Amino acid sequence: MTQIKDFVSRFQTRISLDENLIVKRRDRYFLLNDSLKRLISKDFFYAGTYLGKTKRGKFFPSFNLLRMIAGKKANKVIVDKKTEWLFICGRDIFQKGIMKVMGSKRKGDYTLILNQYDECLGFGKILFNLDKAKDGVVIENISDIGDFLRREKQHC
Amino acid sequence: MSGKEFFVTRYEKLGWRYEDVKPRQAIRINSVNAKVVFIKRLQSLGIKLEKIPFLRNGYWIQKSKFSVGATSEYLLGLYSIQEAAAQIPATLFTKLKDKVVLDDCAAPGGKTVQIADLMRNTGAIIALDIKRRRLIALSNHLERCHVKNTIAYYMDARRVSRLKMKFDRILLDVPCSGNFVTDKNWFKKRTIKDVERNARLQREILTEAAKVLKNDGEIVYATCSLEPEENELNIDWAIKSLKLKVEKINCYGEKALTSVFGKKLDSSIEHCRRIWPGQTQGFFVCKLKKCVCAQ
Repeated sequence: MTQIKDFVSRFQTRISLDENLIVKRRDRYFLLNDSLKRLISKDFFYAGTYLGKTKRGKFFPSFNLLRMIAGKKANKVIVDKKTEWLFICGRDIFQKGIMKVMGSKRKGDYTLILNQYDECLGFGKILFNLDKAKDGVVIENISDIGDFLRREKQHC
Repeated sequence: MSGKEFFVTRYEKLGWRYEDVKPRQAIRINSVNAKVVFIKRLQSLGIKLEKIPFLRNGYWIQKSKFSVGATSEYLLGLYSIQEAAAQIPATLFTKLKDKVVLDDCAAPGGKTVQIADLMRNTGAIIALDIKRRRLIALSNHLERCHVKNTIAYYMDARRVSRLKMKFDRILLDVPCSGNFVTDKNWFKKRTIKDVERNARLQREILTEAAKVLKNDGEIVYATCSLEPEENELNIDWAIKSLKLKVEKINCYGEKALTSVFGKKLDSSIEHCRRIWPGQTQGFFVCKLKKCVCAQ
């Protein structure tokens, strides 16, 4: 739970999660609702809303959790259509592809990447202060929804 | 007893003349996630859509310059790729909101996501599958489409009573022999022995499902097989052995057969729907309830 909270705080926001409704299965965290909580057995494979997993002490968020953060006031950038496509193909973000910055512009902070419809595509790490003009990559891609396709290939 | 000629002759005896059918790719809009104007958004990407007349949220892909399984909209869970006939079973349940639903052979999860969408993420879905690898695909599908009301178990559908639960609705999209539309080598690899083996497995799954169904509950049974052993003959058996009754349904497809290779079946089986390949792949679907006498 601390790991989830710490991760969320890196976007300079907070989300309220009822700890009684969070269950851990091996290294993965899930958020239940009341009816699922009543019905669940301990040997489940997947349940409710998947929040993310820990691996060697590091937390890896799910896209559900990123969407939950995106619903709050948090660090976000909105990118143009071409950058959206490149980002979900796993590429980093150039400053010229950024249409709007909300929240932190500071180097080292995490920021969510949104498309023009405010839909969360993933997140990245700001490599250079975004208030200064710069050619080249300014946000490093850490995780993007193209991962669903990569997982499909992995399990085919 | 195998090969194209053998099966095609069987289909003719059942009243259908074989024709080569190419599968048409279809999508289903996840209405909980997508906004009303979503179709316009897809069309603006260059995807030409045709509304499937017998489905509320289904569209055929007429033309697309790129794979519809690799757009941001797909990855954001705004739609799923799901064959048209496969979209029918979940729509046959009545009043899904807040219900406890069992999806017996759930992976890779297309119908699970559809049921969650119809339930508006209320109630609970218990999704089972016997293959761990396929459960991973199911989990990814649930995450992609923002499903919140599902618990998935690594479990054989024939052991579901171990969960000690009763269900309001049960989807039995049972493992079946499939059909030639979605598998170009189907005639080469299928034999009547496979069909009979699958039919036995389906009866075992049906038996267990009848045990965990609430008295006023509904079972939707579906296969993508054209073989009567897996369809009409199994339902005839379920009526007689499990005291289930067939409910009338209103959906795409023909009345199912009530006479198979000279054997007369229960007349209520005409309420099931048999879909011969044409606009869609081959399919069979029906809705079952417990008989009042069985309660």
